[in-house]
Amino acid sequence: MKFQAKIQADDDARTVTIRLAGELDSGSAPTLNELIGQAAQHPVDRLVLLMDRLDYLSSAGLRCLVFAHQKFGPGVEIVLVGTKREVAETIQLTGLDRSVTMQDPADV
Amino acid sequence: MVQRLTVRATTAAGSEVAGFVQALSEQGGLTERQSYRLRLAVDEIVTNIVLHGYRGQPGPVQLEGGTDGDQVWLRIVDEAPAFDPTTHDPRPRLAAQADGREGGFGLFLAMSGVDDFSYDRTDGHNRNTLVMRRS
Repeated sequence: MKFQAKIQADDDARTVTIRLAGELDSGSAPTLNELIGQAAQHPVDRLVLLMDRLDYLSSAGLRCLVFAHQKFGPGVEIVLVGTKREVAETIQLTGLDRSVTMQDPADV
Repeated sequence: MVQRLTVRATTAAGSEVAGFVQALSEQGGLTERQSYRLRLAVDEIVTNIVLHGYRGQPGPVQLEGGTDGDQVWLRIVDEAPAFDPTTHDPRPRLAAQADGREGGFGLFLAMSGVDDFSYDRTDGHNRNTLVMRRS
């Protein structure tokens, strides 16, 4: 499935949310990085990535997470919601799960 | 039966590569999890060849694979300058994530996601061979 990403600023203006769907690889990562760059213009406390429709994540997608940390800075929590098992395993394998918060949808 | 696919080295080759791995995985009876890991490994190696081997210039990447006894094998062949991924140590770059630098994730994922990974240089070609054992 083609990669899709949609950005939404929440009502309290302290959270910005990006919903991801499809496959995040070296071909689609620039699209997400551009959205992250736009989202980082907002002074927020949290970046939420809705991951439940993301079917595939390569190292290019992992670098998007690192890029988000760089753009938002250390004071902004990055929350990944509903990450599928294989995608979560990729994140955990590289240790990046230690620099983000991984949540089930019910915890949001 | 050996399956073969030759793709042009661009970052847009991902869907062709994914289709090839999916078909090979089904032929070899790999689980969904194994198939995902094999696809990720192949994707990372091919992306590395595109970006660093050919440095964005056109060049062929050939995939071939098949089933041999209790294992499914897949070989990635390119004509870029010699590069042996097994000599690449990603640990310093992975450790650098904490200070926000981008890590060397790709080759690490490729080599840790399959049951066996080997490299040889034959007749001016890099040959990366990936193996998954059928469970």
